[in-house]
Amino acid sequence: MRTKKPAGLYCLIFLSMLMSACAGTQNRHTDPQNDPWEGFNRKVYAFNNGMDKVVRPVAVAYDTVIPDPVQRGVGNFFRNLEYPVTFVNQVLQGKFKQGAASTGRFLVNSTVGLLGFFDVASRMGIPFYNEDIGQTLATWGYEDSRYLMLPIFGPSTLRDGIGRYADSFYHPVGYYTRKEKTYWPFILRGVDQRARFLSQDAELEQAYDPYVLMRDVWLQNRKYQIHDGDPPLTDYDLYLEDDVAEPDPEPDTPDRQ
Amino acid sequence: MNIQFKFLILLAGFMVSSMLHAQDIEHDPATLLKQTTNNIFIKLNENMEEFTADPSGLQQLIKTELMPLLDIDYAARLILGRAGRGIEKEKIDSFSQCMSTLLISRYATGLLEFRSTEQLQVLPLRGELNEKLTRVRSRLQLSKGGYAPIDYAFHKTAAGWKAFDVIVEGISYVTTYRNQIMPDVQANGIDSVIARLSSGELELTD
Repeated sequence: MRTKKPAGLYCLIFLSMLMSACAGTQNRHTDPQNDPWEGFNRKVYAFNNGMDKVVRPVAVAYDTVIPDPVQRGVGNFFRNLEYPVTFVNQVLQGKFKQGAASTGRFLVNSTVGLLGFFDVASRMGIPFYNEDIGQTLATWGYEDSRYLMLPIFGPSTLRDGIGRYADSFYHPVGYYTRKEKTYWPFILRGVDQRARFLSQDAELEQAYDPYVLMRDVWLQNRKYQIHDGDPPLTDYDLYLEDDVAEPDPEPDTPDRQ
Repeated sequence: MNIQFKFLILLAGFMVSSMLHAQDIEHDPATLLKQTTNNIFIKLNENMEEFTADPSGLQQLIKTELMPLLDIDYAARLILGRAGRGIEKEKIDSFSQCMSTLLISRYATGLLEFRSTEQLQVLPLRGELNEKLTRVRSRLQLSKGGYAPIDYAFHKTAAGWKAFDVIVEGISYVTTYRNQIMPDVQANGIDSVIARLSSGELELTD
């Protein structure tokens, strides 16, 4: 989910050009989400599904061939590499204590944990934190950002798309990709991450509206991350009010334009 | 996001929420949650072989122990939202009934995976208890290491505190299913949705 590549900037420019020409259509039968670009996002979602026809079989093969402990090691390795991005953003958000914990975790896992393949720190009880520029912007006040489906990278928001691009300059994988002009770490991480979501494919396929399911799940989980696991509780009353409020529009009354 | 464990987690969530059943409603939900989790696991461990051979006994256990503690009707109303407007009460009831049936059979399958209460840690309430709505937090230890945070939304009814939503890593089941069910009902009608829920064609949980 947190993959980056140098072409990100061009992607964003390309996207913003496309979107300016693309009026969104909100699905009026779901709860209003901040998704004014739904029409465009659905096209990108379809594009990503097309890409997945290639990526999924690779992920399945990876999942089949590579033993679980090795897969865990690969996952740990990449998770450990999130540290620089997390630390910088912990500082930007004033979370110094958490930043110290993350530093300790990184040092332990990079040494005793053999370059991060073994998550020794978790066994020692050092918590894992995850921060990025998108979350920093959100805590600085840019919390409500429109949903944006990115090609290849998947669900995001405008804020998080910008954040992802900025993060890629000092994220080890992004940095390495730029410097060495090789996409292998990027691809390996992508395959590893895709493999983790294989078990959810069936659910997504069976959904009434897979696009909406992915969006809702992603946005809720993102909010959870922004609030460090403590988001405000949903306003359930609103769900009930709306089965009585909002009278049916009467199409035959001419006085409302 | 550990969503592959969603079902097990959801299961555990509703399972532990059974603490409200036949308990003193003056107790705070978190304490009761803990007590009842223990009770459920004891019964499960005692009858594990029998339940494995014949899940109907387990389904019965869930039906009598767990279901009275959940406010499925309320969850159904929240999920249907404005799509439920103008629909006869009987149909809403049978929608809610479908949800119950599905949950019971799902839990019965998933419950057999659990072995010990050690896996679930209920966190103390943090001053969020108000007259009608509260959130109980817990952590489910995952077999692959790490834990999944699960919150339960409870509201107070005439029959005491009842759970109506499970929130896993910030993802609310009510919110998520609502956006799947509402447009489906609007497009195809409640009868079609009920029929597909009962035939198993439409999945409620993963």
